Amino acid sequence: MSVALGQQLKIRSMIYVAAEPVPYFWPMRSFIHHNPLHGLEDMSFSEALDKGAKLFHGQAYLPRTVYQRYLRDGKIERQHLRQEVERFLEQHTGAVSTGMPDRLMNLLTQMESPVMLPTALASDADIQSALQGRPLDARNTSATAVEDSIRERLRQNLLGGRPIYEAVDSMYGTDISSSLDELVIKSCLDFFDEGQSVWRMPNREQGFFAAWRQVAKRNIRLFLRGLHINDILAVDETPEGVIDYVMTTLQIPQESWVDYFTQELARLHGWAGFIRWRATAKHYHWTQRFPGDLVDYMAIRLTLALALLSECSRRRVACTAESINELIATRTHEAYLRYELYSGAVVPSFAHRIETALLRGRDTLIKQTFTDYLQHKRQQEAQQQSEHLHRWLSQCDAGADLAQLPAQDFASTMALLREFERQEGMCWLRAMETHAMQALLHGVNLMTVETREKRPFAQALFCIDTRSERIRRQLEGIGDYQTFGIAGFFGVPVSFMELGKGSETHLCPVLLTPKNVVLEMSMNGEQKPAALGVLEKGLHALKESVLTPFVTVEAIGLLFGFDMVGKTLAPRVYNHWRHGLHPQKPVTRLLLDKLTREQADSIVRAVQRAVIVKALEQELGQATEKLNDELIRDLREAAMGHDCQYRQHARELDVSEAQLDDFIQRLREGYRINAAFAQIQLEQLGRIGFTLDEQVRFVSQALKSIGLTKGFSRFVLLVGHGSSSENNPYESALDCGACGGNHGLVSARVLAQMANKADVRKRLNEKGFQIPEDTWFVSALHNTTTDEISVSDLDLLPSSHLVYLDRLRKGLTAASRLCAQERLPSLQLVRGNTETPEAAFRMTQRNSLDWSQVRPEWGLSGNAYFIIGNRTLTRQMKLNGRAFLHSYDYRLDSKRQLLENILTGPLVVGQWINMEHYFSAVDNERFGSGSKVYHNVAGRFGVMTGNLSDLRTGLPSQTVHEQGQPYHQPLRLITVIEAPFEHARRAVESVVSVKYLVRNGWIRLMVMDPESQTVFVYDDGDWSEQACTGAVSTESPKERMSS
Amino acid sequence: MSLPVLLVAGLFLPLFPFSMLFNVLYARVRHPVLRGVLLLVWPQIGLAIILMSSASIPPWLPVWALLTSLLYALRALALRELGLWTSFIATSAWALVWIVLSSGASMTQLQWVGLGISAPLLLMAFLVAGLEHRFGAAYLDLYGGLAQTIPRYTTVLVIVILAIIASPLFPTFFAMLSIIIKVFPVRPSMAIGVGVVWLLWSWAGARVLQGLIIGPGHRDVVDLKQASLWLYLLLLAGLIVSGVYGLGGML
Repeated sequence: MSVALGQQLKIRSMIYVAAEPVPYFWPMRSFIHHNPLHGLEDMSFSEALDKGAKLFHGQAYLPRTVYQRYLRDGKIERQHLRQEVERFLEQHTGAVSTGMPDRLMNLLTQMESPVMLPTALASDADIQSALQGRPLDARNTSATAVEDSIRERLRQNLLGGRPIYEAVDSMYGTDISSSLDELVIKSCLDFFDEGQSVWRMPNREQGFFAAWRQVAKRNIRLFLRGLHINDILAVDETPEGVIDYVMTTLQIPQESWVDYFTQELARLHGWAGFIRWRATAKHYHWTQRFPGDLVDYMAIRLTLALALLSECSRRRVACTAESINELIATRTHEAYLRYELYSGAVVPSFAHRIETALLRGRDTLIKQTFTDYLQHKRQQEAQQQSEHLHRWLSQCDAGADLAQLPAQDFASTMALLREFERQEGMCWLRAMETHAMQALLHGVNLMTVETREKRPFAQALFCIDTRSERIRRQLEGIGDYQTFGIAGFFGVPVSFMELGKGSETHLCPVLLTPKNVVLEMSMNGEQKPAALGVLEKGLHALKESVLTPFVTVEAIGLLFGFDMVGKTLAPRVYNHWRHGLHPQKPVTRLLLDKLTREQADSIVRAVQRAVIVKALEQELGQATEKLNDELIRDLREAAMGHDCQYRQHARELDVSEAQLDDFIQRLREGYRINAAFAQIQLEQLGRIGFTLDEQVRFVSQALKSIGLTKGFSRFVLLVGHGSSSENNPYESALDCGACGGNHGLVSARVLAQMANKADVRKRLNEKGFQIPEDTWFVSALHNTTTDEISVSDLDLLPSSHLVYLDRLRKGLTAASRLCAQERLPSLQLVRGNTETPEAAFRMTQRNSLDWSQVRPEWGLSGNAYFIIGNRTLTRQMKLNGRAFLHSYDYRLDSKRQLLENILTGPLVVGQWINMEHYFSAVDNERFGSGSKVYHNVAGRFGVMTGNLSDLRTGLPSQTVHEQGQPYHQPLRLITVIEAPFEHARRAVESVVSVKYLVRNGWIRLMVMDPESQTVFVYDDGDWSEQACTGAVSTESPKERMSS
Repeated sequence: MSLPVLLVAGLFLPLFPFSMLFNVLYARVRHPVLRGVLLLVWPQIGLAIILMSSASIPPWLPVWALLTSLLYALRALALRELGLWTSFIATSAWALVWIVLSSGASMTQLQWVGLGISAPLLLMAFLVAGLEHRFGAAYLDLYGGLAQTIPRYTTVLVIVILAIIASPLFPTFFAMLSIIIKVFPVRPSMAIGVGVVWLLWSWAGARVLQGLIIGPGHRDVVDLKQASLWLYLLLLAGLIVSGVYGLGGML
């Protein structure tokens, strides 16, 4: 059977749509922070949270007890919470008795768990009766009506877009869901492996489904489990055909397919997100080699699901949508009891009785059990609910009031309470955000305009990353330093080819695709491989082989013991010694300038000549000294198809003319020396470097975007950042997000090299920049784990600057040490010594080299603000590494273009980071990645918990939690734009993605208008004005922010 | 031993299908003290009957006992109700006493073995009652997360289960060891069968722990009092001592 093309395309598009809510997951080598609910950003924040929580079975808010702790700690103010309660009551004008705000405040602040329980059978009248201590009234609804409502509920719970096997598990206590997930994960691990496995899946180049199909057909383990995979796979060769067959066999109506697919994808959303990203990443090496997409994934998943269900159906289990529907319709009692027992909803005291009745299977017994159970459950629900209500109301002295309400008022109060507890997370969140916004407003300085009489000793451009805030503050505090915040790729999207690496790394936010390639070239000659490197490679080969590990362990296992002792007991000294054994990275330069056509031609020719020399050595055994330029030129010309007398060299090479013809042919085909490939090489070379215009544009844009057009100091430091840690698969999550999860040094070097170029300087000065001749742009790296700032490319520094270098170094070192001292206590290291800055600094270095350290640094945890404006706005505040700081001067941006760029790139990336932290903090198991302690690297691109699990997509608990409680305070990103209101508003309105993030409440936006000294706050579709109190605040801003 | 006596003894040192009587009775009796008495006294009655009769045991009877033991151990694997689980494990364990009997053990040894098997099951009967009181039923895979919710209770439960499944140092361990040691030289296949029973108990015990203590704790449930915890631990320590110096010393 073959499915029509139209149906194939339809299935493909359905899966494409179904996958929208599943977030991308990038390989962990370049960890990208992302919003787990990115696919739902077109909805309002609260709606998306409700939907996301249902879809991914996660929690969208913190538990009430944690918010109560925040209230006690002063991170939430009671008055703000009360405002939210009153706001809720205003929006829901039901039967609100007097004193309701007080009661709801009591509920939020005094009750540790929700008061309203989910009730399936007890009505509000039943609850009121229980509250009054009266027996429950006999049902006035007929038994048929009760059964009808149960049928309806069963259909909703079992067939409402839920995978069939989940329904079967809930009805029969089978374990198909987890068996299926296990089989799918194994298939994914086999196919998507990126070099971790020694024995690899065959035929992967044919695609995911095709390769899996061939293996599955011969899989004895599946056969032994009784899974008749071959019967299903024989139906069609295409994944779409198999999907169509399975969905038809399971009798799922076609209008429900999209929802059904979404549910299927959400079960292993880590794997689905990875495959979804991979299918779109056309440049990704592994995608090019082994293609696979979600259609393949769905086909495999559904094939295995059908096989598992078919195996179950042999035991008289209803395994299709229709048969389950029929069971519900004709044997409602049995279906209901089954669902109660196996879904875990059963009243425990009835569990054994129900199980026995179902096993015996007698209709009369089942009916009697059903009747008794309904009555018991209804009674128990009413009783439990009334006890909860009573406990709460007795605290507010209002128990009698509620119990005596007229039935209708009681029902509406119950409805109000249910709705309130459903929405309470939003009340807590908004109250917490209000506090955070107020704290910021009290601290900012909107009044003063900083004027400098002389230029600073040095200026430093740091990434907007929250970790830069501390070091910037320390640097500014110790001397005449001026700092700026800019996205860590410095506005230059680069595709970087590192020395010794064969692939390109994109150094820019994932939203961008770089057009220009930058090559790293060594200043030294060719280096011989170090002996240690060779030894390490040999050791790996021994470890990865099938038999040799047995011998290796016996023979040299002890060596690993020494390694372990060294790493554990003296990580600093041992790692220093080990690094000393490896050769140092040579001095390098970046190939940054665009090549001319002649230069590109020349490079291609040089490469071809080198290849021909090598080929002559290998193919014809010719010694290098015998090969002259004329010979090589003629052979090259011949291979390229040009006319030349190459046969005359046959005698010279001691070969026949026929052999030489063969050699030329091999040059063309094997060594790819031909016109077509030369053209490709020329095109690739064309991507290298930037034209002068581009360089001027990037430098001017970077400097202008932060408001730096004059007053340049002698040193302008461009400080990228990165982290260093041992034994940490999440290392790249600590690197620069703006550089695609890589270190930011290369981006800094690129901009510095451009900005130091005389031609660029000349053009910039023509554009109005006032850059003195003695200004030198210096690239540097801020190691966020140790807080060390290391300056690079110092050999290029003009000699006139060398006398100032010592002062610069000392300043940077002092700032690093002070920053380490400030930060270290929060890491709570057992051996942490913060008595002196130097000791603290040493401790951070040890921390970065300790392979047992699960939390080398807190990373971006704690992020709450994104401030776009002049540094004077926040310079006097201690923001504790909680703010993204992007420098911006609206006076240089009359057309709002620079602001729009900041909103489009850095703000969106900041929002992703913020949401990643939010969700990882509120539900670390589902949206985060759980504890690092149980993590194992999977396929070299992700991590799993244990040896088999979904790919863990979010942040580990060690990044967002401290001793089981959230360290990161989950807030939406509070974004501040310092600019005239209209200017900022128009910029936001013109960036569509940001406009909807603001309107849908994914970002809290404030505009600080320095001209009117007014703050505009956007909330729920409206702007409100507030006076800025920062300048008149009597409390120290530092104290406020610290709290 | 005459057939009628044998049949009567087969009620108390349960042999299938006579074993059903004990299990029905145990299911009917809900009070933990009564259940405890039943667990302690039931096999001792069987032993007393055997003591009164002096006839030898026919060779087919230990095989019947082993099959009974295997059957109940296997059934215990699939049970979710803990009360029933306790009685099934008791049935499976007591049936093995016939094998000890056939290996020529003294009556004192037999009585120690019977008591050694019953003692942890008695503690289990009280723990099951505790679960029923707290949750309405002692049932696997319904609530779970006991380790987080009621850690003291969980500590005792884990140790008691370990005692029931014949972990080292507990009397059951020495009882099983003595059976295997004594039977293996005479009938190795029988000893292997006993080993399989032991394995099935361990599996069943692991299932109980998995179905009760793993998972997130989320219910407001009162844990064991400190005094109760110490009492249980004291009794378990007593079991270990009696295991090492009682049954262990008889090996």
